[in-house]
Amino acid sequence: MIRSFLERAPIRRLLVIVGVVAVIELITGPPGSNQYPTSGFTGSYAEAASFFGLFRTQRWVVFLALALVAWGIVELWTRYGATIRSRSSSALAGPRQVSEKRPVRVGFALALLVLGILLPHIVNNAFWQSALVTYVAIYVLLAIGLNVVVGFAGLLDLGYVAFYAIGAYTTAWVTGALPTPPPFGHALDAFWAIPFAVVFVVIAGVLLGAPTLRLRGDYLAIVTLGFGEIITIFANNLYGITGGSTGTQQIPHPVFHVGPIKYSWGLAPVPYYYLALGSVVLFLVIFSLLQRSRVGRAWTAIREDEVAAESLGINPLKFKVMAFAVGAASAGFAGVITASADNFLFPSSFTLTFSINILVLVILGGMGSISGVVVGAIIIQVIQAYLNHTPPSGYQQPDLYIYVGALLITMMIFRPAGLIPSRQRRREISLYEESHEGHPDEVLLGDDV
Amino acid sequence: MRTDNVFEVEHVTLRFGGVVSLNDVSLFQRRGEILAVIGPNGAGKTSLFNSLTGVYQPQEGTITFHRADGRALSVIGKKAHRVASAGVARTFQASRMFSALSAFDNVKIGAEDHRGFGVVGAMVRGPRTRHDDRRSDEKTVGLLRFVGLADRANVLAASLSYGERRRLEIARGLATEPEVLLLDEPAAGTNPAEKLDLARLIRRVRDELGVTILLIEHDMKLVMSLAERLYVLNFGSVIAEGTPAEIRANPVVIEAYLGSTAEASA
Repeated sequence: MIRSFLERAPIRRLLVIVGVVAVIELITGPPGSNQYPTSGFTGSYAEAASFFGLFRTQRWVVFLALALVAWGIVELWTRYGATIRSRSSSALAGPRQVSEKRPVRVGFALALLVLGILLPHIVNNAFWQSALVTYVAIYVLLAIGLNVVVGFAGLLDLGYVAFYAIGAYTTAWVTGALPTPPPFGHALDAFWAIPFAVVFVVIAGVLLGAPTLRLRGDYLAIVTLGFGEIITIFANNLYGITGGSTGTQQIPHPVFHVGPIKYSWGLAPVPYYYLALGSVVLFLVIFSLLQRSRVGRAWTAIREDEVAAESLGINPLKFKVMAFAVGAASAGFAGVITASADNFLFPSSFTLTFSINILVLVILGGMGSISGVVVGAIIIQVIQAYLNHTPPSGYQQPDLYIYVGALLITMMIFRPAGLIPSRQRRREISLYEESHEGHPDEVLLGDDV
Repeated sequence: MRTDNVFEVEHVTLRFGGVVSLNDVSLFQRRGEILAVIGPNGAGKTSLFNSLTGVYQPQEGTITFHRADGRALSVIGKKAHRVASAGVARTFQASRMFSALSAFDNVKIGAEDHRGFGVVGAMVRGPRTRHDDRRSDEKTVGLLRFVGLADRANVLAASLSYGERRRLEIARGLATEPEVLLLDEPAAGTNPAEKLDLARLIRRVRDELGVTILLIEHDMKLVMSLAERLYVLNFGSVIAEGTPAEIRANPVVIEAYLGSTAEASA
């Protein structure tokens, strides 16, 4: 009887929410000790804020109240949300409406662009201006690139950081900051590293993709993970070529100099923000055009059913390699911008954790949905920047992973297709949940004939 | 060498480890013919299809696909997508739609040209791309009308009925402009009325579009009314060949289907 009670949907959701809130409470609370192991729960807010004595109470009371409020919202949403949503469009409705909404979407995008341009002047604060570049814009650039690979073509890539590293190292090489002599024996400016970086990451994408993309699912993930590690190890150990573990600290700031036009980037973050914003806009346009093109449809076909796609004359390997190379390009850009803005690079910044962080941004935002990935990346990265800038008491940087982990679990329970899911992904997931009891990979990758 | 045959299969043997799936199979198909392959479960019919389309690679024998322009393609050793672009389309036993896409997009993906690396061209939407796009749209609409799904164009493939899915799969295969269409149990899971429609559709594909049809089917009534010639497979070997009337009267075939002392001694 208890069991059937616990299995009722609202009760289950309540338990999940209380669990998640308890985790958050534990990790944000004062660290426990041998004498007070539960101080994360029982500590009080007295010293932090005595807001009319309101918070002069034990932490668990506050958090339990928060959990109940969150549960109430979720319950209301599940009960009445359907009516609200059906007024816009349901997940399984026809694909017709897209074109009708187009002018609205373009207008919305333009408004966001204006906001993006004005943003550094709105925040007008040294930390946030630089955070907009180092925390947000660079990660958006990386996330939309990985989204092409993971979201459009359905390939799990755990070594995406490698392309970022190649972009950064290419910048160092082209500008003569590495022990290796620059191309043609003549150090170029960091701005001109961009074409080199793009060419190099695309070549790297093809080189990695051609042999490995014959693999499917889990195997591909393992191989790409290995590729990421190889690049880091190369950077670390090829002392005479890459500068080894100390990397380099002599990458110049970019200068744009064509004819009479000359612009130099310096230490100030805002010009880098505009460079990054320009790249983001460029890639957003490229990727969304691609998504709606013949190539994007071929990617969708492969993602949905590779065997069927091949029976229509689609060469899966070719299109997967294309996804790899195209997705890598934005990482190359991100590498150039970071390296030239920071002036330094170390192999230790290109880790597996980095790849997984980018993947988390893509999953949280909504695989395959460009707007979702952008929003997801912005939210997570702003939270991260905020926590680093104004840490709560006892906050350590690795704690972020606990927060993001809890967020990821919650998302997977309530919104598995992501924050702003792509229409197709949402349909795929709801179709899968309706009809399937097998492994989800069967839906995405197709089983044998 | 010019020939009237579309497919020539000679001494094909396909093994999976110790299991012989196709054993010295030889057969041919004439251009414009509706040919059926029948046989009990596990006889190797789908293996034959997969070998003809490049999905499986038989260890022995040759499979030649003769195109209408006189060129010949040796299928064994070619990838499935190469065989498909050469002009061999197929449907699947358990239909494999792109279920989260509309019926329209399913067919359109088939109609598009997937050769070449035109990333930039596809993206920029120059006059050429737009022209191609319009052409695929028109082709898609035409085919949906041809199979009777014009009013279902914007419905998700997953929401279509079984019979509709079968017809959609045929339209998707036809969108690749094939010379041969291989149908793997097209009538499976359809009701009698849908079976009748399907038979009519298959005949129209051959008569109006001039596409050669190779068919695997369990439903004897459908096969006998549709096929002009049949091969019977059993345990991976061809045991009989002939017109529907001949096959019906063939004692070997009756044995294979009903079982008899011959099976015990084999």
